[in-house]
Amino acid sequence: MGPNEAGQRRQRKDIIDKVTGRARYTSDLEVPGMAFARLVRSKVAHGAIRNIDTSAALALPGVVCVVTAKDFEHLDMYYGESVLDQPFLSVDRVRYIGEPFAGVVAETQEIADRAAELVRLEVEELPILENAAAAMHAETLIHPERPADPELANVCSRSVFEYGDVDRALAEAVYVHEATYTFPAVYHYAMEPHAYLAEWTSAGLDMWAGTQQPHKVRADLARIFGVPHNQVRVRVPYVGGGYGSKGQAKYEPVTAAMALVAQRPVRLVNSINESFHTVIRHAAVVTMRTGIGADGRIIARDSQVVYDTGAYADKGPRVARKGAYRSAGPYSIPNSRAVGIAVYSNRVPAGAFRGFSTPQVVWAGESAVDEIARHLKMSPLEYRKRFLTERGEPFLGDDAPMDADLPQGLQLAADAIGWDQPRPPGRGRGVGSGVKDGGGGAARVEAEVHLHRDGSVEVVASTIELGQGPQTAYAQIAADGLRARFEDVRVRAVDTWGQRFDPGTNASRSTISVGSAVYDAACQVYAQVCDAAEQVMGTSQDLRLDGPDVVAGGQRKPFVEVLAEVRRLQPDWLGSVSAIGVQDTTKGDGPLGYSSSFYEVGHSAVEVEVDPETGVLTLVKCASVADVGFAINPEGCEGQDEGSTVMGLGHTLYEELEFNGPELINPSLVDYRVPRAEDLPHDFHTILLENRDGPGPFGSKGAGEGGTLGIAPAVANALEDATGVRIRDLPLTPERVWRALRAHEEAQQLNIAEDRS
Amino acid sequence: METEFTLNGHAEVVDAPDHELLIDTLRARMRLTGTKRSCDVEICGACTVLRDGQAISACTTLTADVDGADVVTVEGLADGDELHPVQQAFVDHSAAQCGFCTPGMVMSVVALCLEYPDADEERIKEYLSSTLCRCTGYVKIIEAAQQALEQM
Repeated sequence: MGPNEAGQRRQRKDIIDKVTGRARYTSDLEVPGMAFARLVRSKVAHGAIRNIDTSAALALPGVVCVVTAKDFEHLDMYYGESVLDQPFLSVDRVRYIGEPFAGVVAETQEIADRAAELVRLEVEELPILENAAAAMHAETLIHPERPADPELANVCSRSVFEYGDVDRALAEAVYVHEATYTFPAVYHYAMEPHAYLAEWTSAGLDMWAGTQQPHKVRADLARIFGVPHNQVRVRVPYVGGGYGSKGQAKYEPVTAAMALVAQRPVRLVNSINESFHTVIRHAAVVTMRTGIGADGRIIARDSQVVYDTGAYADKGPRVARKGAYRSAGPYSIPNSRAVGIAVYSNRVPAGAFRGFSTPQVVWAGESAVDEIARHLKMSPLEYRKRFLTERGEPFLGDDAPMDADLPQGLQLAADAIGWDQPRPPGRGRGVGSGVKDGGGGAARVEAEVHLHRDGSVEVVASTIELGQGPQTAYAQIAADGLRARFEDVRVRAVDTWGQRFDPGTNASRSTISVGSAVYDAACQVYAQVCDAAEQVMGTSQDLRLDGPDVVAGGQRKPFVEVLAEVRRLQPDWLGSVSAIGVQDTTKGDGPLGYSSSFYEVGHSAVEVEVDPETGVLTLVKCASVADVGFAINPEGCEGQDEGSTVMGLGHTLYEELEFNGPELINPSLVDYRVPRAEDLPHDFHTILLENRDGPGPFGSKGAGEGGTLGIAPAVANALEDATGVRIRDLPLTPERVWRALRAHEEAQQLNIAEDRS
Repeated sequence: METEFTLNGHAEVVDAPDHELLIDTLRARMRLTGTKRSCDVEICGACTVLRDGQAISACTTLTADVDGADVVTVEGLADGDELHPVQQAFVDHSAAQCGFCTPGMVMSVVALCLEYPDADEERIKEYLSSTLCRCTGYVKIIEAAQQALEQM
């Protein structure tokens, strides 16, 4: 039976709370006896700690406690995603400007802020490695305890993927294109800064956190504080944006540590300046050699991607690994070698950010393919369509077969901007396609559905409502499994106490993974209701739930009565009919250590206009195609793709974290420019491609990251189309475009002069 | 010092230090947490409230500066369960995702409707550029603003 509720436009479950100001975020929470915290952050980029003087801060009236690593020598203070290299407060060394080395707890936020300024850090300064380029060839090591790389210094991780014979193919190629592309460090700007509230009780640690990974955080807290998982509770209210910045542990451990010493509930809410100094997206340098065969096909790609992971690994090793892997896509390339290196530097740590390593390599790859098509005098659109990985073809050597029709999606995007129409003078058009393998589906997750005796439905699923809409989509999925009404379904907020494990709300994985478990649970409950109806009503024909009633075979009966008769109990001793749904996808044995469970696909097409006097680049038209398989909540899918495209426009045109040496110099919304309403393309389309070819409920796939992938190269490709100028560094600011136009003009004049002489 | 003002239709007297910001008075003192704190420098608009019908940023307004004024926050818009037309427009267009910008965005659209009742799309985009959203890409917010302008 096809979906009835899924696929419909429905009012978001969370929206009344959000438009009325009633929605509660961690930064809004208060509990009795709560004290306020502020972290004290290093002004030195790299130094060995000699002393931390807390006496002046402690003397301030209203200060509850001031903590440093010395207070926690009995604990394992380190955490991290794959490398446990980050202490929750500096131990022995500070490694970046903004690193927390002490925490102040006080009766009011104002006192905590004042006291934080009184804590003195004395260090013996160490040589500063201001970025990855400097760190790779330095003698100083930021983490001397980490294993050494055979070639370079300060390597946090190195991943190599190789198949076919790249060197031979490059030697045989009729044309080899080689170029280096750079992608700047950028900041998520989740509008709610990182926020936490921790309290220790006789039952253990009770934590409220704005996190995307509460179960991962629970495990980290349990390990650090030496308590079992059943004594750590992580509750997640609404979260004011994540985009990766609230994955894995951030300041949960230090908040819990402060609460432990203070012996009171402690709330820590970052300022935005502090969140700028918490986690960022990796700056990357991508060097690519691409070999072309006689028929124009890409026969080889050799790429090296260097990601600046900053002072601590965070998710850097996985970013570098996946980025390297994805640098060979989304074309069918028979010979590939990809090296991904995450390098430590004395910068703010870099971690997960929407697209997870992929925008950086798609920026390079889709720029390079455009350059190649132009060199071959082929249409960039037709060239791509000819060589994109075909449906059913193994992806990148031997990963799971491509589950999408890539040329179809790209053509849709091109059509939406009128690709075949004559180009108005001064304008250019470009396209870009990105594919991100979905690894997050490889998990065993569970979800609960409870049909209460009054006919209301409760879904318990450990997906965080970050705004991407699981509370609405899961309600639609459950309503379909139960043949119930959407309005009767509610989805609970996440609480690790009593709720089922989930690895995290990230990687566009929730709908296909947890959503499938929700559907399974709902179908099981439906089967139980059918069974009860057969016994009580003598029929379950076309059974559906209509509010409090069961409707089947032309009859209608209150569910509570059906249940009371089946269970032979009085109605007010009845609870609910419940089931646990399971989605169990083993990881497979693809190149990344798992097989992709689906492919997240984004195609972008743009038409730009360039002002040669100012270098200002205007997006006249922009179309994004999100291949979502099936849109469970179409408005939600559109909103996700619109949002991710505009976020991608940020790193394309405006956003760049600027550093003076190791110091971040624009950690403020005054100086860090994110897209605004007036920056929207004049003609902006999001198209949902629904071929029902995904592994999620009703053929759905993950969505929400695809829009960030192809937009930057599409714009740069359109810029070349309009002006003949190729820019390989982001963002495409007016100054950068203007300088490139001038250089191009001068080069042309020089050519003319040379021709004349 | 004492500041007297009207807050969401009720007369209030607040005895706050001279340097107290309106955002802290609202959030910490009055426990009206609908007004959100994000950028702290009057760029993001998450703390937008109305002072005598005009949009201001509570993060850069001294509480003393609303003395005698009529202040409306997001909590003051709905009449019981009946949403304000701007709130309803946001509901109708799914114009919120994480929702953290939403109270400020709603207040900005209310101010826009008061200030430019005939605003066209360009005016809407320009006006809302002082209120940031990182989730939605603004498309559905602009649609909501258009609906609100038609209905008010």
